[in-house]
Amino acid sequence: MINWPTFVSQLFNGLVLGALLALISSGLTIIYGTLGVLNLAHGAMFMLGGYAGWLAYTQTNSFIIAVLAGSIFVMLVGVVMERLIIRHFYSRPHEDQLLVTFGLGIVFVEAVRFFFGSLSKTVSAPAGLVGITPLGFMFYPTYRLALLGIVVVALIALYLVLYRTRIGMVVRAGIEDSAMVDALGIDVYKIFMLVFGIGAMAAGFAGIVNAPVVSIAPDVGESILVQTFVVVVIGGVGSFPGAVLGGLIAGEIISITSMFNPGYSYVMLFVAMTLVLVLRPYGLLGTAARE
Amino acid sequence: MSTLLEVDRINSYYGDSHILFDISLHVAKNEVVALLGRNGAGKSTTLKTLMGLVRPSSGKIVLDGMPTQSMRPHAIAALGLQLVPEERRIFGSLSVEENIVLAGLSAKGRWPLERIWETFPRLRERRRSRGTDLSGGEQQMLAIARALVRAPKILLLDEPFEGLAPIIVRDLLATCRTLAEAGQTIVLVEQNITAAMTLADRVYILNNGHIVDAFTAQALRERPETLHGHLGV
Amino acid sequence: MFKQRFYTITVLTAVGLIAAPFVLPYLGFSPTTINRILVWGLFGVGFDILFGFTGLLSFGQSAFYGTGGFVAAYLLTRLNFPSVIGALTIGAIAATIVGFFVGLIALRRTGIYFAMITVAIAEVFYFVEFNPLSDYTGGENGLPGVPTPSLNLGFTTIQFDTDWSMYAFMAFWYFLGIVIGLRIVRSPVGAILSAIRDNPLRAAAVGHNIHAYKLTAFVIAAAYAGFAGGLLGVLQAFMPPDAFTFETSGQLVMQTAIGGAGTLFGPLLGAAVWLYLSDFFQTTLHLGATWKLVLGIVFVLLVCFLRRGVIGGLGDLVALCTRRRHAEPREATPAPEVKPLASLGRSRRHDEKPFTGPALQARGLTKKFGGLVANRDIDFAVSQGELRGIIGPNGAGKSTFFKMLTCEMRPTAGRILFHGRDITGMDVARVCQLGLTKSYQVNQLFTRQTLRENIVIAALAERRGSFSLDLLRRIDRVPGLDMQVEATLAMVGLASRADVPVAELAYGEKRRLEIGLALASSPSLLLLDEPLAGMSPRERRETVQLLKNLRRGRTLVIVEHDMDAVFELAERITVLHEGALLAEGTPAEIQRNRLVQEAYLGGVAAA
Repeated sequence: MINWPTFVSQLFNGLVLGALLALISSGLTIIYGTLGVLNLAHGAMFMLGGYAGWLAYTQTNSFIIAVLAGSIFVMLVGVVMERLIIRHFYSRPHEDQLLVTFGLGIVFVEAVRFFFGSLSKTVSAPAGLVGITPLGFMFYPTYRLALLGIVVVALIALYLVLYRTRIGMVVRAGIEDSAMVDALGIDVYKIFMLVFGIGAMAAGFAGIVNAPVVSIAPDVGESILVQTFVVVVIGGVGSFPGAVLGGLIAGEIISITSMFNPGYSYVMLFVAMTLVLVLRPYGLLGTAARE
Repeated sequence: MSTLLEVDRINSYYGDSHILFDISLHVAKNEVVALLGRNGAGKSTTLKTLMGLVRPSSGKIVLDGMPTQSMRPHAIAALGLQLVPEERRIFGSLSVEENIVLAGLSAKGRWPLERIWETFPRLRERRRSRGTDLSGGEQQMLAIARALVRAPKILLLDEPFEGLAPIIVRDLLATCRTLAEAGQTIVLVEQNITAAMTLADRVYILNNGHIVDAFTAQALRERPETLHGHLGV
Repeated sequence: MFKQRFYTITVLTAVGLIAAPFVLPYLGFSPTTINRILVWGLFGVGFDILFGFTGLLSFGQSAFYGTGGFVAAYLLTRLNFPSVIGALTIGAIAATIVGFFVGLIALRRTGIYFAMITVAIAEVFYFVEFNPLSDYTGGENGLPGVPTPSLNLGFTTIQFDTDWSMYAFMAFWYFLGIVIGLRIVRSPVGAILSAIRDNPLRAAAVGHNIHAYKLTAFVIAAAYAGFAGGLLGVLQAFMPPDAFTFETSGQLVMQTAIGGAGTLFGPLLGAAVWLYLSDFFQTTLHLGATWKLVLGIVFVLLVCFLRRGVIGGLGDLVALCTRRRHAEPREATPAPEVKPLASLGRSRRHDEKPFTGPALQARGLTKKFGGLVANRDIDFAVSQGELRGIIGPNGAGKSTFFKMLTCEMRPTAGRILFHGRDITGMDVARVCQLGLTKSYQVNQLFTRQTLRENIVIAALAERRGSFSLDLLRRIDRVPGLDMQVEATLAMVGLASRADVPVAELAYGEKRRLEIGLALASSPSLLLLDEPLAGMSPRERRETVQLLKNLRRGRTLVIVEHDMDAVFELAERITVLHEGALLAEGTPAEIQRNRLVQEAYLGGVAAA
């Protein structure tokens, strides 16, 4: 029979993982929706956020500063990447865009390996959040609960920015018709730069806040990238709600199946992705806008 | 009258399809100039070239003294040109009000929202509706409103009356006439000759990408059969 | 690029492979390194066919590399399968079968989605190999003890157990693989794959089942990957689990891009660069793991500036030095007086007894987009041999109507009959095979090829049907192909420019090629979408003349805005207005029709 406490614990894990994936995938999907570029370096950005945060943490011993450092650093990396390199690829075929972001991802990973070595580093959770919390019939790691809260807050913040601010309005219009945004007097290249920065920052933020749960290492980005892709295919490319829904679905699939057999979680993810591809080719909440 | 827009022998391509051949025209302040011609003649491409959405391969465009043929659309918009495209291209996922607010974000001089609602009372009623929920006529109004909120020096209208019910066309025409009488400079592309003739001061005729003739509206009213040769069947 | 000189390349490859053991060690390559380069090279031949030639960028080839390798290794180590070569073959077959089913899923989407799906596939396979199937695959330990191959010649047995005998073994398989690869890209299938990369829309419109061809390329890549994976196990006497990693797929992609995609030899060169540099950095410069960072930077720089890799760059350099600058596109040579050719060898379609009804008929054709009615209940019929013009003011729904006639868009209601046969909802390739083709308003050409190669692609569908697996046939051995191509070139007056790359043609010539592509399918009904679009007055006159010449033995339907041309050409004219049929008749009748005049002059709309 199912071990209920374990099951609920895994459900929670799935929620945490799902929220995290939702945040990271949102970043990827708004970049793709606005710029039309699939950022194969997105996993590396997650990784960079963790390292930048860890570095800040070793200097200041403040978790908050670590989170800020990780997020802002990756945002800057994204902005520079768009401005210097990606911008020149808009008129080039999709394959070239994939190759260049893939190459940049490798460069980031290897650069980190060069400076910091391959061994993983730990980031401790802030003092008030270590340990476990009793939750009725089970105990759950306190930091993970907090992480859930943090990521949900970040997702809400992203939502508010996208749907309640003027700049978010411009970004949403840009996802629909970037040429028309430009014709209405807004330099759409600046918007692209901003979107890339925000999208990257989402991944970087996720990277540092997740660091206390799984230590950071140069290759943490790789599996995140794959999971992000599955989320985006399931949810629908270019759709923020799709990324959230897809993230939650993926998070729960991974968590629940790993209860039975860790290896099968990926298989189940793949099965889910295949089902969506067959039944709803554009994702659960996507539209046939872009390919 | 001062010339606001001077176009000198522009050539535009779509891929390597040569669409515009040495197009030259001029527009003076407070004028309404109509570009007439069968479709495929290059009228839309002319407007898109003026707005920077299509880059001309040669020729000059001078807007209020500034050469704009190499500028990107946002820079041309900043100089006071606004295009209402043929496909309208309103942002369907945004509300009516958001569409208008977005348009005004980067404008130097701006119409107050009240003035927009006065000009298009129908839009005030629908201000919270999403773009995709609007009817054809309402979308057209929104597209024009979006351009007007930037208080453009020149308003480019690409087939604003196409695909609309006659009663809506009548209302829209009246609105455009009011704008023109208030001094708005307009360049109008239309296939609906009657509608165009009620607004235009001057007319250029395009055929197969060339400007083949130009008339004052007055001259055309005196000899209407001139148009039939160019535009009829 | 290397279309001709098959035998030259084959011989040079053989010579190179024979010479390598004597030359390469002096350059710092150890035998093991050379063997690993060959394995990567073979892995890459299939991948290059998929990516370089067909344009499908897959990050998931490790799935098939690992599958083939582990099946072969399992057979040899756990089941004591007697023949190494036999095991390798079975491994490759297993990888091929897996590739087929994976391809069915992955190829449902293209471009970016396809890339994402292949990344996911790679990871799934890795995790499955690592965990659930670890009993079979050895999990993180892999499968050790893969035996060395041996060849029983009856009187003696050759054991490939030294470095250089192993090289001979590897070199043999690489040679076989590259020769087969060279044959494939020179086959009709290879030409079609390149066409799919260039312009998939047109490749389908000229009658090819592009989905089946893409799946073919995917399966070929999987087969090569599977065999190469088996060779890896044999080479190392051990099958490593990292054959399945995403990193392996990534390395393959990078090596191919560095060497040059679309050349078949690119992956080999890229692997040589990669492995040499990694050796050099680690052993000579003692910089340890930095080499991968350097290679990554080199790769990014290459993608930015040297798009076609090392081989491509060298090719450009050679072209620059030896040939004159490419000719500027000049004014089109005037179309010579074309003698109408009645038939172009239509093979399969006319065995039924002749049909006397309309060539094309639409009944109640309607198209709605949500609430918007673009076409309303149109009845339309064109007699065989007629030249019909379709006109109408803007917003009339002409392009929607036309798209339904060409089967590019499904009608909401109504039926379309072609020679009495219901074609409603058929796909464009099938309809083309039945004899209905279209030429486009905006040129849809295969821009990376020459003029002749463009016509060949269309003619191949006419000669071979929508799908044929003639992978090893030489393209110039397709019966009737040359005749079909020459006849088409003559019809559009482009025979003298046949070997010019499309990029260098003048606009008028490209428009004629556009029509030529539709003609090469030997259509009985040709639909032309604004054939005069963007033309100078002189080009218009020439094209009108061409269209007149094309009438013999065919039915033509033309959408145009150039009134003079339409009235000169058409026997009958259909006028559409606001989505419905307004009038139909001879040119004279249409000119006299008041409703038509009003529609064009705006009277009807502005009431």
